[in-house]
Amino acid sequence: MKFDIDYIAHNNRLTDANPYVKIIVSIALMVLTLVLDNIAFDIFIFILMAVLILGVARITLRNYVKFLAIPAAFAILTCIFLIFFFGTGKLIFDTGLWGIGITESSLNLGITTFCRCFACFACLGFLTLTTPIADILQCLHKIKVPVTFIDIALLMYNTIFIFLDQMFTMQNAQDTRLGYVGTKSTYKSIGMLFSNLFFRSLDKSETLQCSLDSRCYQGYLPVYKPNREDK
Amino acid sequence: MHIMEGFLPPLWCAVWFVIAIPVVAYGLYKIKKVVDETPESKALLAVSGAFMFVISSLKLPSVTGSCSHPTGNGLGAALFGPAATAVLATIVLIFQAILLAHGGITTLGANIVSMGIVGPLAGWIVYKLLFKAGIPSKINIFLIAFIADFATYLVTSVQLGLAFPTPTTMAAITKFFLIFAPTQLPLAIAEGLLTVIVWNGLMTYRPKLLNKLGAIADNEL
Repeated sequence: MKFDIDYIAHNNRLTDANPYVKIIVSIALMVLTLVLDNIAFDIFIFILMAVLILGVARITLRNYVKFLAIPAAFAILTCIFLIFFFGTGKLIFDTGLWGIGITESSLNLGITTFCRCFACFACLGFLTLTTPIADILQCLHKIKVPVTFIDIALLMYNTIFIFLDQMFTMQNAQDTRLGYVGTKSTYKSIGMLFSNLFFRSLDKSETLQCSLDSRCYQGYLPVYKPNREDK
Repeated sequence: MHIMEGFLPPLWCAVWFVIAIPVVAYGLYKIKKVVDETPESKALLAVSGAFMFVISSLKLPSVTGSCSHPTGNGLGAALFGPAATAVLATIVLIFQAILLAHGGITTLGANIVSMGIVGPLAGWIVYKLLFKAGIPSKINIFLIAFIADFATYLVTSVQLGLAFPTPTTMAAITKFFLIFAPTQLPLAIAEGLLTVIVWNGLMTYRPKLLNKLGAIADNEL
């Protein structure tokens, strides 16, 4: 499934922990990592987060590695690029092509950036793997983010899953009829999929509005907030 | 063109947040005004935001062999205007960071500026100009998607160049720009073509709605 993260966020040992603490801890550590910009501290944060995620929240190693895999690929590529193209001064390794090579300053830059990215990603991972979105939105409400914003976000969050379901069904139907056989047909199929999805979404928005109206919707959704601070 | 979590130094994170927040606040103010007048538009906005999120999770084959995803912000800007698109893009970016580990929280400000504000705004301005000139909306929609993508990529290069000014800021911006070009230009063209196909669908089945949203002229009905 595409949204493993959402499922994990609802099913781990820290799901019911106080969301404010989780958000403050992860964002504070993230900012601290950025400001300090120190390799040793980055590694420390990465290990700390691994302990929290794997040990305390009991998320399986496989899921955590899966979470890190995509950003890791990006980070490695970008940092190789930084190492080769962003140096000044004496070359310590020369490729012999147009003066492209590794210098001491660029190697430093690449490695520090890589470590910083990874430490920050670990913090983000702690936040997203343990905290359901509804909790995050509720916290945003507490810090006085406008109700309109939160309402739209909540409605959007609900609709996303319905859409994904419909999209997979349609995609499957197209695929079984050889809709993705070549580049040209792929474009045609994706175009049809999108425009159809848009009509569906319009219909859906009408039904959604009707159901909201029939429940006396007045521009704000009161949601049950479990009192999690007691636990 | 998401900038990764932790990639930008703290100073630039803060700068882009400071630029992004007033624009999003203005967009919210605009949305609030519309919602107060016609309450049913909130459901429409939420659903279109979800639509933007869903299409951005689809993979699109591009010429260089790399796979990337359409942003959909050009289409959003054509249908709902840049202010509403900025707010929707902000929510989409938060969801992408939290649900897909794509982008990040510290770089959220920078990503909002490039993908939610400058890209759609540039596309929208071009759209309005050509709309006045009476260019058929099919050609126009290709251009808006292409320009929105291209502007996003330009702004990202500038953001990265400012954050890593070696040897000089200008040189760094050019370097990032040139390195992204082989993947991003075909991608912008691909998204343009795709948007035209989507637009054809919309024109065939719901032309009245597009007219009501002010996206196509009366004579194209």
